[in-house]
Formats: sequence, structure tokens, C-alpha cells
Amino acid sequence: MSVQAATQSAFRAVVARPGQALVGLGVALFLAAFLIIPVITVMIAAFQPKGGTGFTLVNFQDFFATDLFRRSFWNSLYVSAMSVLVATVLALPLAYFTTRFDFRGAVIVQTMGVIPLIMPPFAGAVAMQLLFGRNGTVNLLLDDWFGFKIPFMEGLNGVVFVEALHYFPLILINLSTALRNIDRAMEEAAQNLGCSGFRLFRRIVFPLAMPGYVAGASLVFIKVFDDLATPLLLNVKDLLAPQAYLRITSVGLADPMGYVISVVLIVASLVAMYLSLLALKGKDYATVQRGGGGLAKRTMTRGDAVLAYGVIGLILVLTLAPHIGLLLLSFSTIWSFSPLPDGYTIAHYVQVFSDSGQYIVNTVLYAGLAALIDVIIGTAIAYLVLRAGVPGAKWLDYAATAALAVPGVVLGIGYLRTYFGVTLPSGQSLAAFWGMIVLALAIRRLPLALRACTAALQQVSASLEEAAESLGATKARTVRRIVLPLMTGGLAAGFVTSFATAAVELSATMMLVQSSEDAPLAYGLYVFMQSPAGRGAGAALGIIAVVIVGICTYISNRIVDGDMAAKAGAH
Amino acid sequence: MTALIEFQPVDIRIEDVDLSFGTTHVLKDVNLAIEAGEFFAFLGPSGCGKTTLLRLIAGFNTAQRGRVLVGGDDVTHLPAWKRDVGMVFQSYALWPHMSVARNVAFGLEERKLPRDEIEARVDQALDIVNLKHLKARKPSQLSGGQQQRVALARTIAVRPKVLLLDEPLSNLDAKMRVQVRRELRELQQALRLTTIFVTHDQEEANTICDRIAVMQDGIIQQVGAPMTLYDAPANLFVANFLGTANIVSPVGETNGRLVLPGGVDIERPAQPGAKLVFRPQNARLTAPGASVATGRLRLPGEVVHREFLGATIRYGVKVDQVECLVDVPHQGGEAAFAVGARAAVDIDRARVLWLAA
Amino acid sequence: MILTRRLVTAALVALPMSAFAQAPTGKLTIVTSFSKDVTGPFKAAFEKAYPGTTVDVQNRNTNAGVKFVEETKANNAVDLFWASAPDAFEVLKVKGLLEAYKAKAEGVPEKIGQFPIHDPEGFYSGFAVSGYGIMWNTRYVAAQKLPEPKEWQDLATAPYFDHVTMAAPSRSGTTHLTIEAILQTGGWDKGWDIVKGFSGNLRAVTDRSFGVPDAVNSGQVGYGIVIDFFGFSAQGAGFPVKFVYPSLSTIVPANIAVVKNAPNAPAAKAFIDFMLSEAGQAVLFDPKIRRLPVRTASYDKAPDGLPNPFKFPWVSNAKFDVDKSEKRFAPVDALYDQLITFQHDALKAATKAIHEADAAIAKKPNAEASKLVAEARALVAAMPVTEAEAASAEIVGAFKGGSAKEKAPRQAELEQKWATFAKEKYAAALAKAEAAVKAAK
Repeated sequence: MSVQAATQSAFRAVVARPGQALVGLGVALFLAAFLIIPVITVMIAAFQPKGGTGFTLVNFQDFFATDLFRRSFWNSLYVSAMSVLVATVLALPLAYFTTRFDFRGAVIVQTMGVIPLIMPPFAGAVAMQLLFGRNGTVNLLLDDWFGFKIPFMEGLNGVVFVEALHYFPLILINLSTALRNIDRAMEEAAQNLGCSGFRLFRRIVFPLAMPGYVAGASLVFIKVFDDLATPLLLNVKDLLAPQAYLRITSVGLADPMGYVISVVLIVASLVAMYLSLLALKGKDYATVQRGGGGLAKRTMTRGDAVLAYGVIGLILVLTLAPHIGLLLLSFSTIWSFSPLPDGYTIAHYVQVFSDSGQYIVNTVLYAGLAALIDVIIGTAIAYLVLRAGVPGAKWLDYAATAALAVPGVVLGIGYLRTYFGVTLPSGQSLAAFWGMIVLALAIRRLPLALRACTAALQQVSASLEEAAESLGATKARTVRRIVLPLMTGGLAAGFVTSFATAAVELSATMMLVQSSEDAPLAYGLYVFMQSPAGRGAGAALGIIAVVIVGICTYISNRIVDGDMAAKAGAH
Repeated sequence: MTALIEFQPVDIRIEDVDLSFGTTHVLKDVNLAIEAGEFFAFLGPSGCGKTTLLRLIAGFNTAQRGRVLVGGDDVTHLPAWKRDVGMVFQSYALWPHMSVARNVAFGLEERKLPRDEIEARVDQALDIVNLKHLKARKPSQLSGGQQQRVALARTIAVRPKVLLLDEPLSNLDAKMRVQVRRELRELQQALRLTTIFVTHDQEEANTICDRIAVMQDGIIQQVGAPMTLYDAPANLFVANFLGTANIVSPVGETNGRLVLPGGVDIERPAQPGAKLVFRPQNARLTAPGASVATGRLRLPGEVVHREFLGATIRYGVKVDQVECLVDVPHQGGEAAFAVGARAAVDIDRARVLWLAA
Repeated sequence: MILTRRLVTAALVALPMSAFAQAPTGKLTIVTSFSKDVTGPFKAAFEKAYPGTTVDVQNRNTNAGVKFVEETKANNAVDLFWASAPDAFEVLKVKGLLEAYKAKAEGVPEKIGQFPIHDPEGFYSGFAVSGYGIMWNTRYVAAQKLPEPKEWQDLATAPYFDHVTMAAPSRSGTTHLTIEAILQTGGWDKGWDIVKGFSGNLRAVTDRSFGVPDAVNSGQVGYGIVIDFFGFSAQGAGFPVKFVYPSLSTIVPANIAVVKNAPNAPAAKAFIDFMLSEAGQAVLFDPKIRRLPVRTASYDKAPDGLPNPFKFPWVSNAKFDVDKSEKRFAPVDALYDQLITFQHDALKAATKAIHEADAAIAKKPNAEASKLVAEARALVAAMPVTEAEAASAEIVGAFKGGSAKEKAPRQAELEQKWATFAKEKYAAALAKAEAAVKAAK
């Protein structure tokens, strides 16, 4: 097709589907206003000579000429790749056993599996140190009993350990959704041909679940690549994200290198995303859902069941350890250089409930709204990319995904710079409006929700939509009546991921909170954790955050499971 | 089958349609006229473009060039939901989250009909396919045949102008297939609804359709009634695709006449490059020495295999390098020729065709 | 349009206030790096003293706070900036984001030691003073049978290896001042020798000031270099910790300032006056705050255990040249980061080898080994720039940017050069120290 013909057909596609073009335009405007423009206003510093104006690439030349940055770059790659590996080892058994087998307590396991994602800032870190640190519970006991210590949280491998524990749910969630949708006949066909056990998994089940796995794994890779809190907590600074953060936030200096590193982070994340798309090319296994007949689950032999429960139990204990530590901390009087706290008290909860109720309300409101926005925008983008013929839809996907790599501080500063001058009718600045916190949270979590929405839509066969259209339903009606109900599971997964992580997000919020009445819980937690006496109260607030998110996750897992059961009918 | 629905049959016209997916040219200058109330089939091997053509009519594919008219209205640029063209999908595409009744009611709800009318029409449509008793079930609780009928009921409930069936029988077992195709034919006759049926199975097309368009490589090779296509195929592809055909290429020339395998010569046909085509039942097997009867053509050879098909015995006879199939009616008793025996393929000259590719 | 209206309103509001000294009312917005433990009592006391006012406290770390005030200056909604690190105020002042205000306060001396308590130009006021020192976890120290330190140099000795932690001076203004004080009192070369000595013993350099007391409180690390109130308030909260001021410390004020175009300037000024009054200064003795007042008379009512820094014998001797500090602020931070923070593994390896060599020599004296160790120490202590160079227009300009000449080095180039210098020197020091161990055996 010639270029002219291509443009012509693209033009015709727009004319033919004005509704979709409008949705596309809306999403594009949203992304431009709340992601691209604010980020560019900040990032532009990377392309300017220090303290001056004009365009230069000398900063990038400096980046590649500096040992520290080159070392940081390779370290970041190493840490991200290893984290994906370890996270996979943690997530695979959980996802496989709970989705492909008749497994008692599957919903509980799935819910517990998501909790590690909700690591409240600072409090989670302190709890990790108290358990796994050099003089944490585990090492103090090991030293007492056997006379050695394990450096869980030292150096690059310490970062890998903590990141994998923290982010493996991203693989778990995506992989579980993919596994749930594999036609049972696929496995049966393989068993029929003499394939069983691990070979069956390796040759049939895993390849079929590949899209879900790659979606999760690429998220883990990028999240780890861009994460700065964990390395800084472990005092590992020769990674890219901490380098960017340290430079952007240093007082009073216009150091372009921080922004240069941010640009490198964004580009690297996009490349990773692109590679994962390449890897998935031609592997779109959307199976026609003929009444969801493929959802039957296998039963396990007693021996296998014992083994499976053992493995899952071990993984859960390991991954939930930080939260167990946090729980102990929230009830402890003093906990210092000892395996367990000196004493227990409920005073911290009394304190938190008496003066932090507003934080909790704000958190549920902000994170809930942000997750809602994410699911809506995520579904819109997924639909435009996968179904509609609107030209350039792919770019919306790329742009939204790039948000993953934008440091929260950069986004926060970008919002202030872009919107502080805009005044609301009330006389308040737009950037001071609490809605901006919601938008920042939504943008930061959009990539996660987008991947979940895309995976969910991929699983809905296009003929189900065409059937509705041929019966007279417009595109919009089809989406509402057919596509969305069939995507419920995936959308719930997207909502939960966004909500859960937004509930404990701090980096962008930190810049945007304008008064303590509007502050979310993570901010309250930060305030508590800045003083020795606030440690217990901070932990209590952290536990409350985890409980809120845990309940929401459980409910949505129930919805998904009920939804699946309804689709599958009575067995 | 009670309480039928009244349809106003309409015709379908496809004019100069050209369609490509990227660099793949799927439909090449397709022109087609389907008459009102006709049961029409798109027949061809997989990849021939038949489903693409069907989806073009339904509004799911867009052609780069050409027009589609339904009942005289140009629908080329109309979206699928405004075309009022009913389609039954190969996979049935029943929505797993809705009951049978809700599936069937869907199109009616989209048309904003009153509650009670929807109710009545759902019952009527399910009644037509004899599934009224299963209306509360979820699709996953139905058998394949039942799902197929729900898909059909869902489509006819909205009283579409035309009915498109995309390989509707391919997911059914052999016995069901025979039963359902008869029901489809009866239903179509009763409703007088213009229907297009996509299939790669000539038997399906032959048994239920009024006319067939045979497609190959995005080109309509021939359009006609099943018997016409069978008896007078337009080219080698059609002859070979519909039923079994023996294709014999001339091996040489002598005195302005063509020489066939077995050394038999025959007058040159009008069309250059054409090959001799005959059906297995239009020949018989005779002893090698017998004389040539008038109006017949004899190719001497050797029996290389024999299949007993019940009503007939099919012989494979090797004439030089070419194997010809001959069907001999079986009336009981022993087969006349054994494998390895010499025999001549004795063809009815009146049934011989000369066809080019 | 909006701006003009704001100015007019500000003028209308401001005039009668100052003219009739009416009591301030309304909402007072404070951006602070102080924890709720510190801000809560002040908020309560101020609201009680001035009925009709409400104090809204926004907690941000110092860096985020500075950025926030800077980014929102077009439509400023902040009245007061309240933090520990004097450099943050200096930055805000230079950028023209503060309003000068001389607090009406009595009994506050002009200087503590060499350090002015209020900004001499009047843009910010000190309300409390703090000194840097060493805090340690007594359980940790007892369990590992470690000594109790008195001076910075103690931390550089072998027993402390891998047991100490500190915030990077580039991340903590007060840590920066401590380093600067050591450099000024000890001299450039001797100062860096001390700094690198204990830095080689650090378990890690953290990026968060509060990360240091946190690690010591929970017993992950034995000793921390911290500002005094972290030690005192941890004690107050019941943690098993102790705190000591080394004699080469510096006492600096913690400050508060009125932000330019403050929406409620009268209340902001009243708040500062209140803080420096007798009642306000007494709030500092709250067990969760435990900070040292600037009003000398207040020490008469100080709780037990809280020292009076105005009476420290070394305070008056401590040299501190504010201008010098100001000028080389960024280069000192960058030097610390490039020579120590980002080369920490190499520095630690060299330090460890030197400790081992010392131990070997102590067991079996050997002249050659001693010479090698001395060389190794000299290599560790070596600096890529002299004191004069660090304050030169060329280097200072590289960090400021913009005005630098065409041929002047860029910050990134300097940093790469210093990092390479450190890497080479530490590797050489490691080799020498290892050779010394061999020689002594």
C-alpha cells in the first residue's frame, strides 16, 4: 500500500468511527496534560547546558563518560534481571497451583500473594531491617545458634532479595489471569499424548500463559529498574534510579545529570516494553470462549497436595515476613537489637485512630479514584490498540507506559510548574487542589492497570463483539454490554494493583500535598516515621493501610472468582 | 416449528470489490448478485476469501474499492450495527456471562423494543429452534448443537434483512450436521430469508443451497446452481473442487489431432491448452479386447486399486502414467475386475469436457 | 490581573495590621521538615496564645520543602519556612524567596561561638541551637564489646570498623556543617584526613538524615553521627542509646523564616516572635522535642540532662567562617560524594587493610611495614584539589553553571576526574597496606 493510500485509509478509519477517534483524542489530551507536558517542563533541563538555555547533548556525553553512571547502568540491569528471575520463582508455584488445580484456599492464597506489593514507605523498610537486617531477628538468632549471619540486605543481591519479595505479585497477578484462561483441553491434549508433570507445564501451560507472564515480568523489570526507595534504604547508590533521585533533590543546585538519568530511565523502560512486545509477537493466544468450558480444574493427589501446600506456605511466610515484622512493630514498646520487641502495647493504634482518621479516609478516596481513572483510561487505550482502527493508538500505549519510568518527584515538580499558576474559581491554585494528587497517583499507576486491561481484552474473542454489532449494538454499546462484563476479572486485577500501590505511594504525593487535611495515609506515615517516638504509630498506620488494601483485594478476588464460576456454569 | 416470522426478502449486490490486508490481496474484483430469498453459498478451500467476503457484507471488513448493496441500499460505509445483517459465527460467539434468554434478547434490547415484545420475540425465536425450555441456562451448560441453535435464534430474533452463516456446521458431529443442515434449509424456506452460507464442504453447499459461488484465491470462479456447477464446471478448479473429476492431459499430437495416454487420439478442442475431464460415474470398465462403441472413448490400462463404497465400486485404473477413477454400480455378487487385471476405461463422449485452468 | 489584586489586598491587609498592632488571625501555613513531635506542641501553644489563629503544618523533607516554595512562588500560599539546615535558608534567601524580618526578641545573643544565631541580613531567625555528635546503641555496643567514643578520631580506629553510619553531607545540611567545621578547625588536609578516617569505618553512607538514628535505634548499626536532638529524643522515647558531643563539633542554629508574599504575614511574624519569647522557648523542653533554646535565660529552667551549649568550653574557640563555608558548599559536597560515598567499597577495603597492618605491626613491630602503612594512609588522605582550588571561580562556577567560561570544566567532568583519582589512590593504598601486612608477618 502506498503512503498516500495508507493515509487515505487512516483518514477513512477516523471518519468511519468518529466515536473511537474522539475517545482516542480524549485519552491523548489526558496524557498530554497530566503526563507529557508536566514531565517535559522538568526534563527539558537534560537538554540544556547547566544553568543556561539552548539545546545541547553534552550532558548525555558526560553521562556516558562517567564511570559511576556506566557502573550504575550495568548494576541496574543486573538487579532488574535477577529480580525478575527470583520473582518468577516465587510467583510461579502460587499462580499455577491456585489456578489450575482444585485448590482449597485459592482465594486466600491469591490475596495474601498480593499483600507484599503493599509495602508502606519507611515503615515497611524499618520492619524489613528489624527482621532481615544485619542485626535483625533472623541474623541475631542465626548468630546465637550457629555463629554466622546471612547478608540478606547487603549490596546488589540484597536489593534483588527485597525487590523480588516486593514486586513478585505483579507476575503473580498477570500470570494467574493468563493461566485461568487456558483451555483445559490444551492440557488434556498434551496429557493424552503422554506429557505430564513438569514437562506438561514447561511445554504447554507456560507457553500458553506467556503473554501474561511477559506482561508481569516486564513490569517487574521496569519497576525495579526505576525503583529508588529500596536501594536507598539498603544504602546502595550505584544504581541509576537512586542516582537520578539524589541529583534531582539536592538543594539549590541545577544539576542536569539527574534529568539526564531520568531520560535514560524512561528510554530504557520503553525499550524493555518494546522488547516484551516483540517477544510476544505472533503469540496472541486469545481463545474463543465457547462458554468458558475450559475452566475445569484438576484435583491433586494427597502427596502432591501436601507438597504444594508446603511450597506455598514457605513462599507466603517469606514474602509476608515484612508485614509480620510491621505488625510486631506496631504493637511493640521498644524494639532494638533483639529478636523480638521488649514489650507490647496497643497505644500506637489508640494514637493513630484518635488523630489520623482523615488520612485513612483520604487514602481510600484518592487511591480508589485513581484506580478508577486507571481502569477507564487503561481499557480505553487497550481497546483502541487491540480493536479499533484509529491510527496512532499504539503511541498512546507507549506514552502511558512511559509513565512507569517517570520518577515521582519529577511528576510532582512538573505538576507544580505546570498548574500552580492556574487558579480555580475558589481562588485556590489548581496544583493545590487535592484532585491533582489523585491524577498524579493515577498517572503513576496507569502502566500497571493498562497491562492488566490489555491482557483482559486479549482474552475476549473478537467474534463475541462482532456478534453484538451484527445484532445492532453500536461500538459503545458493545463495549458496555459485552466487552466490559467479560473483562471484569482483568479489570478487577487492574483496579486492585492500582489501588493497592497508590494507597502507599509517596514520592509524587510528597510534592503535591498542600495541607494536612488533604494528606493521604502514606504522607501521615512519613510524618510519624521522622521521629523515634513515631515509629510504632507509623507502623500501626502502615498496618491499617495493608488491612484496607487487603480487604479490597480479597473482595475483588471474590468477584473475579464468582465471575469465573458464573461463566463456567455449574460443574 | 410454529409461529413463523414474516420476512421481506431482499437482494444483495457486490460490485467491483477489492480488499487487501497489508500486502495480502484477499478479494480481487469481486462482483456478485444474490437474489432475494435465495439460499446462497460461498464455497472454497480455506484461505480463498469466502469468510472475508461474508464479513465484508456484515460490516466487519472494509474494502479498499467497490460497493456492497443490501436491498438496493448502499451499505459500504455503514458500520456493522446499522446494517441489519444477521450473522451466525463459526464459534457461535455466545456471551458466556449471559443466559440463553439474555443472549437472544440482546439485539432486541439494542433496538429498544418494549419489554413485553422482547419477551414474546425471544420466546418465538427460541420456539423456532425448539429451545424454549432451556432459556434460563448459561451457554456453557448447552451442547454444541444447542449452542448453535441459540446463536441462530439470537440472529433471527432481530428479523435481519439477510442471514449470514459462517461455517455454522463445522463444530458439530457428523450426524448432527446432517440433521441441522436439513433444519436450516427448512427454516430458510419457511422464512424466505436471503441467506449466505460459508463453507468449504461441497456436500453441505450442494444439499442446502440454491446457488453457489465457488471461490479460489480471492476470485469468484463460477456462480451457479449445484447441479450446473457439477455438470458444467467453468474450469479445472471448479470441476475438481465439486465432486471427483478425472483430468487427463494430452501427451502429444498427430495429424492435427491430440494424443491421449494409452495412445488414443482425439480431435483438438476449441480451447487451446485445455485438458480432458470426465467424472468417474460417466465411465465404465470393459475388458481390454472389446471394441469401441459409438459415442465412447476407450483408454486401455491396468487396475491398480479397488474400493468398495457400498452403492458403487471405485476402480483406479492406470493408463500409462495417469490414474483414472471409475465408479461402477454395485448390484451384488463378485466384483468384475481384480487388482492387476487389464481393463479399458470406457467413457461416454457426451459427458467429456475440455477445461482449462 | 490576579497578581495586582493580590498585591493590593496584601497592602490593604498589611497596613492596618502594622499600624494598630492588631492581634493576628486566620490560617497560618508552615512548611517544615520537623516531625509532628516538634511542631505539635508549638502549634498548640501558639493557637492558645493567639485565639483566632489556626496553624496548618505541612511536613516535607528540607529538599522537597525548598523545591516546593520555589516552584509555587507564582501563587505562594506558604507563610513560614521552618527547618534545621541553615543552607536551605541560604538557598531560599539567594533566590529571593524570603522576606526579611527582625524578630522582637530579648536575651538572644548574636552569635554562638563564631556562628551568628540569626541571619545577619535578617532573612531568617534562629530559634534553637543544635550540635552534632555521636550516638550509639548501648545494647549493640555491649553485645559486641565495643568502646564508647569521645572524639571523631576515635571513630576512625580499628574497633569501629563497619559499625558506624552517617548521612551524606550532600543530603543533610547539618552533616555538611559538621564536615565543614572539621575542615575549618583542622585545616583542609588534616580535616579531610579525619573525615576520610572515620568514613572508611562507616558501614554505609545514608541519604536520609533520619536514617541514621533509625539504624542506631533499631540496632542495625552501633554508632551514628547525628544532630543532638535525635539522640536526646530517642532517649526520651525509651531507646537504649547514648549521645556525646566531640570537642571538634559545631553548634548551629535551627531556623525559621517568613516566605516572600506570605498570605498571612502578620501571623507569620507573630509566630516567630512567639517562638523566641520566654513561653515559646520553654516549649523546646518538651520531652519529645528536647532542643536547645537560643535564649540563654531559658537554661535556668532546663530539664536534667540537657546541656547548655553556650557554656561549652570549645564553643567559643571553634572557628567558623560562614563566608568560606558558603563559597565552597557545593564542591565540598561533591568531593565527599565522589571521594567517599560513591567509592565507599574501595575506601573501606583500603581502611580495613590498614587496620590489619596496624594490628600486625602492634604484634610484631617492623620498620618497613610501618613505612608502608604510613604511605597507605597518605594515599587515602590525598586530595585531588587544594583548599584554594576548591573555592576557585572555575570549580565553584562548574557547580553553579551558566556563567562559566567556555573552556571551564563541567560539573560532570570534575566529578569523573575526582572519582578516578580516588579509585586509583585507594587501590594503591590497599596494595601498600597489604604489603605491610606481609612484611610484618
